Order: sequence, then C-alpha cells, then structure tokens
Amino acid sequence: MGATIVADEVSRTFGPVRAIDRLTLEIPPGVIYGLLGPSGSGKTTFLRMVVGALRPTEGRLLVLGRTMPDRAVAGQIGYMPQTAALYPDLTLRENLAFFGRIYGLRGRKLEDRVEQLVHDLGLLGWVDQPLYRFSGGMLQRASLACALLHQPELLVLDEPTVGLDPVLRRSLWAHFRQLAEQGKTLLISTHTMDEADRCDLLGFLRGGRLLASDTPAALRLQTGQADLEDAFLALAGQPGIPVGEP
Amino acid sequence: MSWQRVLALMLRIVRQFRRDRRTLALILVVPVLVLSLLGYIYRGSGEPTRLAVVLEGDSPLARQVLALLEENSSLQVIVMEREPALQAVDRREVDGVLVLPALSFQPGTRPEVELILEGSQPSAAGAIAGAVSRALPQAIIQTMSPSGQAIQIEPRFLHGGPQFDQLDYFAPTFIGFFAFFFVFLLTSVSFLRERLQGSIERLIVSPLDRKEIVLGYMLGFTLFATVQSIVMVIFTVAVLRIHYAGELWLVVFLTFLLTVGAVNLGIFLSAFARTELQVVQFIPMVITPQGLLSGIIWPVDSLPRPLQWLAQALPLTWANEALRAVMIRGEGLDALGLHLMVLIGFAAAMAVLAMVTLRREVA
Repeated sequence: MGATIVADEVSRTFGPVRAIDRLTLEIPPGVIYGLLGPSGSGKTTFLRMVVGALRPTEGRLLVLGRTMPDRAVAGQIGYMPQTAALYPDLTLRENLAFFGRIYGLRGRKLEDRVEQLVHDLGLLGWVDQPLYRFSGGMLQRASLACALLHQPELLVLDEPTVGLDPVLRRSLWAHFRQLAEQGKTLLISTHTMDEADRCDLLGFLRGGRLLASDTPAALRLQTGQADLEDAFLALAGQPGIPVGEP
Repeated sequence: MSWQRVLALMLRIVRQFRRDRRTLALILVVPVLVLSLLGYIYRGSGEPTRLAVVLEGDSPLARQVLALLEENSSLQVIVMEREPALQAVDRREVDGVLVLPALSFQPGTRPEVELILEGSQPSAAGAIAGAVSRALPQAIIQTMSPSGQAIQIEPRFLHGGPQFDQLDYFAPTFIGFFAFFFVFLLTSVSFLRERLQGSIERLIVSPLDRKEIVLGYMLGFTLFATVQSIVMVIFTVAVLRIHYAGELWLVVFLTFLLTVGAVNLGIFLSAFARTELQVVQFIPMVITPQGLLSGIIWPVDSLPRPLQWLAQALPLTWANEALRAVMIRGEGLDALGLHLMVLIGFAAAMAVLAMVTLRREVA
C-alpha cells in the first residue's frame, strides 16, 4: 500500500493571504507525523485540507488514495479540531453516541468503545455529565475520544495535548504510539518541542511553507543543532544561528 | 443515504431539546398563553363604551331611541343635562354625547340630532356612531308601525354562525404562525451554534452528507413543531372551544408542511448571521411581514393591490388560507390542491437553498 497522505504542490489561499504555499510531502502508513510551527504558520489549514473541510486552491492532495475532499474516505479519518467542537448541552455519553452512530457504530460495539475510551482517557466518572461542566482539559479529552471512536486508519489531531497535565500527556502519547504500531497513521500538529521529539517524522512549517520534513534525528544532524527549537530557527533562516554542515 | 445517520442526527436534536427546558416551554407553553390571552380579550367582558344622552324634548320617538340604546350591551348609557354632559366628554369621562330633541316630523321642521364624539379612540367613536345610526331608523319604524314591531333581519350563515367571533377567525392562523416562527428561530440559532462551536466542521468531514444533515434537522425540528401544533389544536378546540368544521389532522398536516419550509429557511439564513443577535435581526425581515400580510388580522382581499401581490408570495398566506378553509369551512384535501402545491414547492425550494448553503461549508 502507498503513502497515507501525498501532498503535491498543495497551496491554499484566503483572499490575498497564502496560508499554505506549494507544500509537498508524503506520509507513509504506521507513523506519527508531527507538524511543528508557530501559530499562524498554516498547520490548521493543512490539517483541514487533509480531513476534507477545506479545498486546496492549487495542487493535488491524496488521502488514503483519494483526491481530497472526498466523502468516500470520511469514515476512515478521525479528526480532532483545535476547539472542542462538541455539544455542551449533551452528556459525554450522548456526544460519543452521536458521533459513533454517524460513523456507523451501534449497539454493543458502540457501548464497548465508549466504555473503553472513557476509561483510557480518565473520564470515567464524567460520562453522564453534560459537557458544559467540563474543564478545558477534560473537553480536550472528550474531543479526542470522539475522534478515536471509530478506530480510523488516519487520525488528524490539531494540538491534542494543549493544557493537559504531564501525566496524562504522557499516557496519551503512549496511546498514540500504540495506534501507530497497529498500522494507523497519525498527523499531529504541535508547537511544543518535547512533543515534536516523540514523532517519527517531523515537518517544520513557517509562513505556509514546509521548511523541512524528516526524522527528528536527521533534522538535528542537518542543522547541527542538538535542540529542535534551534534546528527550527536555523532552518527558518534566523540570524545568529548558522545552518551547520552535515 | 443512510437512515441510521439521519436518525442519529434527529435523536441528537431531540435530546438537546429535552435538556433545554426553557426552549421547550417557549414552543409549548407560550402559544397556549398567547391564545388564552386572546381568548380573554375577545370573549371576556370588557369595559363598555360610555354614552351620555341629553333629552331636550320629550317624544315617543326620542324615548324609543333611548330605550334601544340602553338595550345595547356594548354601551353604557347615562342620561345627563347638556352642560355636565359636554364637560364629561371633554374630561373623557364619557366617550360621546347624544343630544336628542323632541324629534317630530311635523311639516316645516327639520329633525336634527347632535352627536359629539370624544374621538381620540377610533373603536369607541365607531361603536357609538354605529349604535346611534342603527337605533334611529329602527326606532322610527317601531313608532310608525301599527304593531310596534321592527323589521326583522334573520341572517342565515353558510359558515361560522351567530356565535362565530374574532377568536374563531384568528385561531387557525395562529397555529401556523407560531409553528413557522418558532421553528425558523430555533433552527437558525441551533445551526448557527453548530457553526460557532465548530461542530459543523466535524459533521462536514464525517460520512454524513448534505442531504442527511438537512433531513436530520428537518425531522428533529418538525417533530417538535408537530407536537406544538397538536397541543395548540387541542387547546383551541377543547379549552377555548373554537369553532371548527373540518378534520383536525389536516391542520396538523398543513402545519407540518409549513415547518419543513421553515427549518430549511432557518438553515439557509443562518449562513448570513455571525452572532445570535444577527439571527434575531431576521425576525423583522422574515416574520413581521408575514405576520402583517398573511391574512392573520386583515384579510388578504382587503389589502391594497400591490400588498396583495406581495402576500401571494408569502408561504404563510397560503398556509393561513388553507388552515381557515379546513377549520372554518370544513374543506378537505381535495379543495386545497393549489395550497398544498405552494407549500410543498416552498419547502422544496428552501431545502435546495439549505443544501447549497451546506455545500459552501467546504470552502
């Protein structure tokens, strides 16, 4: 099987603004791909094109073999947007049941998935509470649960661990790793360096342009910087941080 | 098209409604309260119009006029002297003063009756002028006819009847109006929230397609609109004892058709609102003209011609006509072909617009 995501010279403009500029990359199945970049660099725009919520203005974007946007692969993609994007007046169980049914889960299978995710994400005592009672971090986990529910081939997570405590963050990353080992592909945006380091592949995004895309080790080697943040800055062409000779 | 997905969406909307007690009260209790209020206004005993009568000379005819006016239950007649009467009308203690001279038809005299109206309240002035102009000829006939009998008018009603009043006339249209209003408002707010909280994006990237989203919304909201119309029909018929002639399920069916259009209009227009306040701003644009022109209060035939044309373009006009035809005249589906076609056409056109709106979500 080919790459899960193939972007070929993909651009996206919003009026005069070029949010993504001729981005080309390939993400093979079974890896965690981290998209690292400051806010406004185009991370969310790219993720939204991958899930089919935005149309590329130029270029070709293939996801699971289909040119996006295409509803045919919708059922195999799990998407967690940056904001919770759930129904605050419904309980966690009702939210999960709604998204589960939309993705074709029902009956016993749906119940089992809900129980398991609620347990894994540490929301056991909250499953019958309406979401307006949830804290930011709990909403984040609830939103992640909705994306994981139908065990998609491709998981697209927009800054999934913002505001989570370190213990939980670690356990989530262990969970992501487990999914990748099962052959699922994960595309995760982040702006923290320690998370970037946990990815198999890393893309540096700045001003809509992909500065580099490689393993964290290779990026370190290429820039001669031990620190990923310095590597990023070096690739962004910041004065004072020279690009080291490989 | 997957019915499982459509039902999942409908179930979600039903659950959200059940949680939202205030909205539930809005759609079920408010119409009943408004109808009760109208019932009380039209059928409760209001303050009568006060008429001062000044007798300036005695004659059988003048006494007969006074007697007839005193019989009139909507008037309170007070016999006064001229000066106090004129002061009373000036101070608005009475709504009018009728000055009755001896009233004779001797050759060479010109019987003249003086009527002074307070005039700032058209309905009171109209009631007095009407009552006096009816009482005079009747009194003349009664005093002149040998038997003392007036000429009897016995109306024969094709529809309605002697007991048929304004409330009977309004009630059928209120059922349609409330359904349209609340469904439009709730759908547009609920769809706007979907957009604001970002969940619409989750739906758009899910296997749900546009048809399923529109259908799920339609089923969820029309379910509550149908419950509302059933509550209103039961209340108007059983409690207010509204006159009805036709089959009541037809009333519910017509309301259902109207609200299918309202749901889709709500989805469509919510695309042009960025805040909930902006949704409220659609009410004077969408609801008020229909409230005024659709024949709820003023019959469409009585409007100036250009407004009649405008009224013909409003779905509520057709719904109101059909609801009245069913409830007041007892007409059946066979007589309402054109009305049904217009309502179905409106619903279909709005559904297409709603789907076009949803297509733009993938920008």
